[in-house]
Amino acid sequence: MKTMLGVLLILTLGAPPAGAVLGEYESSVSLDQQYMRGEIRVTNAQGYKFHQITSPNGAVVREYVSPEGKVFGIAWKSPFIPNLQQLLGSYSTQVQQAAQSQTRRRGGPFVVRTNDFVFVSGGHMQSFHGLAYVPSLLPQNVSAEVVR
Amino acid sequence: MTLKISPVAPLSRFLGVVACLILLAGCGGSSSTTVTPPPVTSANNAVGVDVDLGPTGYFVNGIFTTVEVCAPGSTTNCTSVPDVLVDTGSSGLRLLSSALGSLSLPSVTDSSRNDVQECVQFISLAYIWGPVAQADIHMAGETASSAAVQIISESPQYNVPLSCLTLGSSGAVDYNTVQALGANGILGVGNYPQDCTECTISGICSSPCTSAANGVPQYYICPSGDCQIASVPATGILSNPVALFSQDNNGVLISLPTVPATGQATASGSLIFGIGTQSNNALGSAQIYATDAYADFTTTYNGTRYSDSFIDSGSNALYFLDAATLGNIDCADAAGFYCPAETLNFTVTNTGANGTTGQVTFSTANADALFKTGFAAFNDLGGDSGTGPSSDYFDFGIPFFYGRNVFVGIAGKTVPNGASAPYGYWAY
Repeated sequence: MKTMLGVLLILTLGAPPAGAVLGEYESSVSLDQQYMRGEIRVTNAQGYKFHQITSPNGAVVREYVSPEGKVFGIAWKSPFIPNLQQLLGSYSTQVQQAAQSQTRRRGGPFVVRTNDFVFVSGGHMQSFHGLAYVPSLLPQNVSAEVVR
Repeated sequence: MTLKISPVAPLSRFLGVVACLILLAGCGGSSSTTVTPPPVTSANNAVGVDVDLGPTGYFVNGIFTTVEVCAPGSTTNCTSVPDVLVDTGSSGLRLLSSALGSLSLPSVTDSSRNDVQECVQFISLAYIWGPVAQADIHMAGETASSAAVQIISESPQYNVPLSCLTLGSSGAVDYNTVQALGANGILGVGNYPQDCTECTISGICSSPCTSAANGVPQYYICPSGDCQIASVPATGILSNPVALFSQDNNGVLISLPTVPATGQATASGSLIFGIGTQSNNALGSAQIYATDAYADFTTTYNGTRYSDSFIDSGSNALYFLDAATLGNIDCADAAGFYCPAETLNFTVTNTGANGTTGQVTFSTANADALFKTGFAAFNDLGGDSGTGPSSDYFDFGIPFFYGRNVFVGIAGKTVPNGASAPYGYWAY
């Protein structure tokens, strides 16, 4: 695995761009980067690549891109929960619905699992982690386990 | 929805712990020289905890205690709040205003006299939101004076800021009521001395957190009603109350009895303050597992290392991997829990940042069957933590605590045995 590209730092002020990433084209990654005001690093791996955005306030978000240029997964590790509406785009509605219907009988990680969307929010206060991916967008011979 | 909690909810049983003798080092010598020991008074350092269904009747494996809060400096302007969840996964005391009755606590303001507010995110994507106030916190014979505590209510003065709502404002879920929280508050007694995300980012939380800015959606001020992320004074940052005690302030010991594999209606144990400070909180045979900067350690299962694992009394089950990876079965009724036909046993190895390793064995039984009992205490309740082998942690919730003495060491405080644990530790 080889790390490519250096660091791009984009500082934008004002309202967050109304972008989406999961399921969208790779170009939407830069919207997240702008929103997070972060540094980005691209890593090529066998059969896919990922953009890692590191923000000054400690959030690390990885966005996994297929050879077709689509974002098939995202993962985060952060002292707070990143803006999931931004990162999940159209998939955030499913997560909203699941979040509203969950019962407090389960006091642990929050998991949404459907045939075409998997979402996990876990960790604990001050060290949140989670991931989301779209199984049908996984590149050939790439396992969902790379999204982490 | 108006929610009232019963003012006569049962007080947790306070353990009548007798003040103990402090053993002075060097007392074993045969010298006839008389050494006058320094005046040492040891406080009653234990409160009762109960695992029960909680004030709403729906909590399983919820561990509750009673906390007394007073207006700063007052011994009469006080109230006792029962059914406060004991949470080793957070730091700081948060109470529902509905549980405070008529007690009014002074708010904490910044230098421009703006009230300090806090937003807390949960992994369930819910939040709690409310102002920071000052109170004296009393538990057993211990006192945290002028502690910053969070007051939450179903109708907060200010709207929750969008920057704290990870899924946007439409349909955001709050835990600002007893019905949603399942408790009258949360007593955070974890590894961090303060509730300060900023110090987690900078890598260590042992020095006082004096700022909470840097774009982290946690502390806010609301000048002219518009809430914004703010750098708040140290007085506005919640502390782990134990870290503020004048003694017994280096951590806690949670001691719960064993419960049968078929569950038990309730369970009673104790929350003991201090580690190695009195005769009732000695480490004994417990091993110290130092945590990393994120309060995590490594769990190894089937040859795979899960390096972000943690113990958490605020988690009500053992949450790890998923059914497909484990050869386990998801429940038909209880979503997210495991329902094997026969109880499954697991053995894992935990490794601390200090190199300590040790095996842990546990079981998962059929959660649907367990829940049918209507009981609250289960040592074999397991659930899905999300993904397959790429899941990077085991979450050892309340089932882990039964039949064990579990110590939570606070970062930056004295470590017994001189072990290296700059970020805090677990011992069991």
